[in-house]
Amino acid sequence: MHQQLTNLSDKELISRARKQKDREAEGVLMDRYSHLLVAITLPYLHTTPPPDPNIIFPTLLQRLSASLKTQTIYKVNEWILHVQKGYLGKSGKDTPFYPSRNGRDLLHIENKVDKAATNIIDRQDLAVRLEQALQRMNADDRDLITQFYLENKTFADITTAKGITREKLRSQLKAAKGKLAKLYMNQGYV
Amino acid sequence: MFSSKPSNEKLLKVFSGIRCLNKDQLPRYLDGRLTDIEKHLVEQHLTDCDLCYEALQALEQEPGQEKYQDLTGKLQRYILESIEPVSHVQKMAQYTKKEKTKESMLTYFWLFAFIAIGVSSVYVLRGRMRNQPPPAPNKIAAAALPDKKDSADIPADQQPIVTPSDAETTPHHTAVTTKPATATTATPAVPRPPLSPADSIARAKAAALKAQQRKATADSLHKAAALQKQDSLRKAKEAEDKKAEQKKTEQKPPEPKPEPKQEEKKPDPPKKETPAPEPTNSDEYLYKAAMVYQQQGNLSEAIDRYRRIESVSSGKYVEMARYQLAICYRSKGQMGKARRMFREVIRMDGSLKNSAQQALDSM
Repeated sequence: MHQQLTNLSDKELISRARKQKDREAEGVLMDRYSHLLVAITLPYLHTTPPPDPNIIFPTLLQRLSASLKTQTIYKVNEWILHVQKGYLGKSGKDTPFYPSRNGRDLLHIENKVDKAATNIIDRQDLAVRLEQALQRMNADDRDLITQFYLENKTFADITTAKGITREKLRSQLKAAKGKLAKLYMNQGYV
Repeated sequence: MFSSKPSNEKLLKVFSGIRCLNKDQLPRYLDGRLTDIEKHLVEQHLTDCDLCYEALQALEQEPGQEKYQDLTGKLQRYILESIEPVSHVQKMAQYTKKEKTKESMLTYFWLFAFIAIGVSSVYVLRGRMRNQPPPAPNKIAAAALPDKKDSADIPADQQPIVTPSDAETTPHHTAVTTKPATATTATPAVPRPPLSPADSIARAKAAALKAQQRKATADSLHKAAALQKQDSLRKAKEAEDKKAEQKKTEQKPPEPKPEPKQEEKKPDPPKKETPAPEPTNSDEYLYKAAMVYQQQGNLSEAIDRYRRIESVSSGKYVEMARYQLAICYRSKGQMGKARRMFREVIRMDGSLKNSAQQALDSM
């Protein structure tokens, strides 16, 4: 059973945990992201006074489990980060998680691409429209996207070529991608 | 189209969803131990995913990966342990629930099945009771005996009245054939008593008769005129018969199939009362056998049989046999013998006296 569940997608696991009250699916989902949870929590363990990991992690898991039943979760990674920040951040509040407008655009296009996986006509259509959106972007962003996505250049290649930090590059790429998504979504209005 | 714009398809991967880095990928990326393709995918994902990027940064700042590995292992074990008992309990609960629902479904099924069987059996029973006449089979059998006797007897005494001048056919046939002629004149309201279901022998006989009847109709037409004068006599008899009939119908259940020939058979009830000395079955059997011969036109054989009955048996069968003998002789054209027999019957002063007298008068 456990083996079968590990092959399922996040979405499926969430729906199982919710609809069938399947604790096992919930556990598999937590297990899948546990190492990232540990990694992002590591910096907090160095604060003074150092919190006890035996308390922090179970509590975090409980919070995640509680919010899993009530939250609308589009992307598990964003949700986990939000819950973790809510728990360990300064406020300590358990604020509900809402995906941003930008995030939803991205999600929408991602779903479209996912759906068109084997449909040649849909894929062609999507590609043409993305191409059109790309042409309307400014040159810098278009270059960045072309280099990173189409020419398969690594972070290191681009940072050395442009003389910027990885952090900066990542934020630029993220912004460019957001713009592309926005252009794609608003194509009908142009 | 594909070949002209190969880059088009590649653009889709900008928005392709990639899973978060797994437990091993994270340290391997840090160490630069990934293949080019894998590295590219990881970086592509890192652009989108804040969680992974933060995890990466946190691990880069961490002096060693021991703590990360240790804590991750512990957390995963913790999760696994917390799932395990729960999932076991859950499975048990699910199993018991499934069993319970199955059981309850079975209960419902049997309940419905029994109800359906009950309802259908009631329905069938009612249908059967409606279709079946009330008397039980053994009652019918009891009632059948007198009936049989009646149906056999009646034509015997009735025949002479109806067919005084019948040359070769049996009285039965003529009676039927004359009916249309008489019906127009006087007897529209002839009682038609229903046939008892039990006298299958009589019916079988009747079936045999029908064949002969058809033959007989041809030559019986000319006798219709002669018969008409007897209508009055017959009516008088019917009036008294009716009374007896009512009595009989009370005893007998209503029969489904009325037979046209019953008309002549009926009027014998006076006979029924007379057989005080119960007739032996063998006598009745012999008499009936003789009747069959007579009806089949085998008159000499019939006469032999009647003679035997006359000599062997006693009571009303002797009278009936004599009477039938007279009819047979008359049919054969031996009028002298017939007269003598009729006179003997009259001398016996039995129930057939009147009939014999009438037959004698009409000769």
